[in-house]
Amino acid sequence: MTAFIIRRLLWTIPVLLLVIFLTFILMRQIEGNPFRQTSRAVPPAIQRNLERKFNLDEPWYVQYALYVKGVFTFDLGPSLVNRDRTVNDIIKEHFPKSLELGLLAFIWAILIGIPMGVIAALRQNSAYDYTLMFLSNVGYAIPSFLIATLLIYYVSLKAGLLPTNGWENWKYKILPSFALGLAPMAYFARLVRGSMLETLQQDYVRTAKAKGLRYRRIVVVHVLRNSLIPAITAMAPLLGFIITGTFVIEIIFSIPGIGRYFVQSVSSRDYSVVMGITVLTSVVIVLANLVVDIMYGILDPRTRDARS
Amino acid sequence: MTLDPRDAVATGGVGELVPAATEQAGAPMRQANLWRDAWRRYLQNKGAVVAGAAFLAFAAFCLLWPIMSPYDIKEDPVNFSEAYEGPSLQHPLGTDQLGKDLLTKLALGGRISIAIGIGATLAILLIGVVYGSIAGFVGGRLDNIQMRLLDALYGLPYLPFAIIVLAIIGTNNLWTMVIALSIASWFTAARIVRGQVITLKENDYVRAAKAVGARWYRILSRHLLPNTLGILIIAIFLELPGVILGEAFLSFIGLGISPPDASLGSMAQEGRAVYRVHPNMIVIPSVAVALLVLCANFIADGMRDALDPRTRETKEH
Amino acid sequence: MLSRNPRLSALLLAIVTGLLVVGCGGGDEGSDTGGGAAAADQTLKWGLGSEVVLDPGLATDTTSAKIVLNIYDPLVKLDDKLNAAPAMAESWDVNGKNVTYHLRTGSKWSNGDPVTAKDYEYAWKRAASPELASDYAYQLFGIQGATEYNSCESNCNALRDKVAVKATDDQTLEVTLTSPQPWFIQQSAHSVFLPVHQATVEAAPERWTRPENIVTNGPFKVEAAEPSASITLVKNQDWRDADSVKLERVEGRIIVDGTTAVQSFEAGEVDVLDEQLPAAETPRLKETPEYELYPGLGTSYYGFNVKDNITDINQRRAMSLAVDRQSIIDNITQANEKPANAFTPDGMPGKDSIVPDPSPWTPASGDIDQAKEYMAKAKNPKTNITIYSNESSPNKEVAEALQSMWKQIGINSTIKILEWQQYLEFLGPPPPKAVDIFRLGWVGDFVDDINFLELWTCDSGNNNTGYCDKDFDALVAKARNTPDNAARYEIYKQLEQKLTGQDGALPIIPLWYTTYPNLERETVKDTFSINLLDQVDLTKVEIKE
Repeated sequence: MTAFIIRRLLWTIPVLLLVIFLTFILMRQIEGNPFRQTSRAVPPAIQRNLERKFNLDEPWYVQYALYVKGVFTFDLGPSLVNRDRTVNDIIKEHFPKSLELGLLAFIWAILIGIPMGVIAALRQNSAYDYTLMFLSNVGYAIPSFLIATLLIYYVSLKAGLLPTNGWENWKYKILPSFALGLAPMAYFARLVRGSMLETLQQDYVRTAKAKGLRYRRIVVVHVLRNSLIPAITAMAPLLGFIITGTFVIEIIFSIPGIGRYFVQSVSSRDYSVVMGITVLTSVVIVLANLVVDIMYGILDPRTRDARS
Repeated sequence: MTLDPRDAVATGGVGELVPAATEQAGAPMRQANLWRDAWRRYLQNKGAVVAGAAFLAFAAFCLLWPIMSPYDIKEDPVNFSEAYEGPSLQHPLGTDQLGKDLLTKLALGGRISIAIGIGATLAILLIGVVYGSIAGFVGGRLDNIQMRLLDALYGLPYLPFAIIVLAIIGTNNLWTMVIALSIASWFTAARIVRGQVITLKENDYVRAAKAVGARWYRILSRHLLPNTLGILIIAIFLELPGVILGEAFLSFIGLGISPPDASLGSMAQEGRAVYRVHPNMIVIPSVAVALLVLCANFIADGMRDALDPRTRETKEH
Repeated sequence: MLSRNPRLSALLLAIVTGLLVVGCGGGDEGSDTGGGAAAADQTLKWGLGSEVVLDPGLATDTTSAKIVLNIYDPLVKLDDKLNAAPAMAESWDVNGKNVTYHLRTGSKWSNGDPVTAKDYEYAWKRAASPELASDYAYQLFGIQGATEYNSCESNCNALRDKVAVKATDDQTLEVTLTSPQPWFIQQSAHSVFLPVHQATVEAAPERWTRPENIVTNGPFKVEAAEPSASITLVKNQDWRDADSVKLERVEGRIIVDGTTAVQSFEAGEVDVLDEQLPAAETPRLKETPEYELYPGLGTSYYGFNVKDNITDINQRRAMSLAVDRQSIIDNITQANEKPANAFTPDGMPGKDSIVPDPSPWTPASGDIDQAKEYMAKAKNPKTNITIYSNESSPNKEVAEALQSMWKQIGINSTIKILEWQQYLEFLGPPPPKAVDIFRLGWVGDFVDDINFLELWTCDSGNNNTGYCDKDFDALVAKARNTPDNAARYEIYKQLEQKLTGQDGALPIIPLWYTTYPNLERETVKDTFSINLLDQVDLTKVEIKE
């Protein structure tokens, strides 16, 4: 087991290097000038000075080497646009908020999505099933910006129940995390429903029923546990999606998170911030995948060696 | 073999089904029957049928309406006196802030969104098929390297990369959106194809073909890929919602199609600014996106049920 | 139930009565006089449009400028008429190229150190330094030695000493300019001229603006700041004129998205909004009592590529005549802008002498017939053109409207929308051959027309049109050396004529003058205001009941 974990951990290093390399190459391709944000032109001497200050005038391999060194010493450099902040600070200040937003959305998805799926499976083809599946589909299909806008309008403006934007205390966090959680909610509901339906067909369930064990006990003890395994494996990519998909919600709800910052930084060509955030998100995704792999390995020993 | 009574039910002009087990018993099963079977099963799924019809209807509307419409969004002059009108006989959905007909604009936006959706999905599949079949078919070290690479690529965050790619390309038109949206999302397709190819590779008829000396491309094209086709078609309709929503999100933050073209996402973004006074400006394009996504989901479910009997729902509880 | 427990009911009665008394009698502090009395809680909740940078040298955007102008003490401020009024400097002398500021005594930084002229010398040189690479360094280029210092690439300390700003003693700051510039005093009211505390900056160059490190000397202090989220200011009780400041606290919330900002205002979460009103919401908001419109000092325009593309003057005239500015203002931008009648904006001192008659080429509602006439006169008109614009609303819609208007005079245009950074790269200067006409704007940095007219010199970094006229440049140089206002305005008049006059080259089509639409709650509406340069003086703000 430990060999498995260590192997997977070691594997993250080349993955990271590849991600850094790709991001680096891609960022260099974007045209634009991080030092010019307004229509006022930058005097050539200033341009040169700034490029020198940030090592942008070095050949690309030197810059790449410097950057890799920076990543492994946890120094991601200064922001090129907001020159009174460093990328490390930016990440420290904004990333936890996005993470929190993502996790809260995740919790909504689990709290509502899984029971939806279970009920729908247990009452297959009934009105419950159709309604729940319809609702969850709608939650997935309607773009979150519309839902967010409607939520703010009805819940915050009209009913005055919750604040319209910001991220200060628990009241602020309800609407945005809910809006973000709708799509994963639907995904979980369908996943759990499908998985449960499959499990319910299994022989051992029929046997248990035939033996006369109480229905509820069967469901809770056996069916749920076995159905949730595929659901867990689906969580890793979902977590990655949530963290990278927060930017629309962050913009609408004015949450000072890393997603919104990322979009702004690409617009303003803040290379160091863009690279820093991309590398960070990759690390998160890789680690999330690793955690799921490990959990899956624990839960289902067959997969440990068979994973190619 | 006993005939399942359900199979004997004909639904609406499908043509001949699996014939009764009389003259044809024992004849080699041809692939055509697999498809007809699947089609029939698909039609039994009411949700999938409705979704399929709705999808086709909307696509047809988007394709044909701008041609038939008396309005030409690009050529008509800007007419402020007719801006933001509500639904009327001349403008069934009303007008936008420049006085242009919303129904036509919706059709044009739908065209772009659907085109991007299908384009990106096909691109995903193409890359995935090529990558996955090479890995699965050749196997060995190449497969290993390819899979390690794929593992690494999985670490790329999808939307940030789409954004970066768009920024690199510069212009935002149909093709660049297709590229950006497909570039970081083909990994799962590659995995699926590879998995399929590996499983099928061990099949008897493939082994037989190899034993006989058939070339690899013949095996690939004649045996492996057609069998994967079913999975691939399902995959198309599974990817489609993600791509359409992805495009809507990118447009919403301003990285979508450049004006004067508009996609459903960019229409929604413009509409959000005036939702207090003209809510239809954001609701209409969002509902259109939702419609496409829902239909694609139901179609995918329907096809999966049709092509893979194991996942069919049990009738009891 | 109540009757069964007399003690409980008595208690409840007492509570209810108590609440009634408090509720009705509350707000006793002067509320009897009705509107106009000061509220007990002098807290301003302000919706800010972008991230706040607290370093005056790096504060480029207007939001940051508004904040820093209230936490540091400038030498001069601008009064209602945009004249220089004493702030930290109680008086000044101007003698040709030599300017001397006389500072007050007794003012202190927030850490107790006295404020001296050296602080201003240090800050100005820092703002001009090549290391800081401030976007606004050019504001200091009127000072001798500043331009050279700013473009220095090596051995910069020697050049630093040559920058002609010197604190001859604690209360005297002597400045030598490159030429007599009568506008310099007013110009020094800009945020880039604010002081900084040298020891603090040098102790932590990348972190000195954090709330725990920052040292300020203005009417307000920074109590807390969460990046991209909020900033809290409190009144500086030790400020030199603290008695006149009514406001106790400012809670700034950073809301970048315009629609969200309006929602926040309507939910009562902020009391003042500026910079973010989406154009599309303005028609609805105009009707509300909270709407307030301020004129700005800026001109929005479309520029031609005169060198290679739209070379025929008659075509340019035709295109300018075809634009129905009023219609675009009424229907698209909707912020009650004034249609432009020249490049110099309204509100610029001397505008009446500089532009005695409106340009014949900018009729407010357009003149299609005349436009067609001039189009017919054009010898080699380019009838298929590309309009370039950036993507933020309402620029897209404006481009579409123009496309439609120019179609009427026989010009077919394709619109290319670029994202902002690409757009800037693209425009150069010099503009690439692909560009026929593009959209830009210019907002004044200080209150003199030279700031606008010098854009069109041959080697101006902000001239994206390719327009180059040696005589124009000569006149600009002459204006720089003409301290007498009347005489200088006469030169400006000639410069305007060269641009937009009857025989002007018309390298640009001025469209309208900037306005700043705001939402202000009635409790704050009377005292909160923005001047022509988009500055706010929080010392004048008072929250009413």
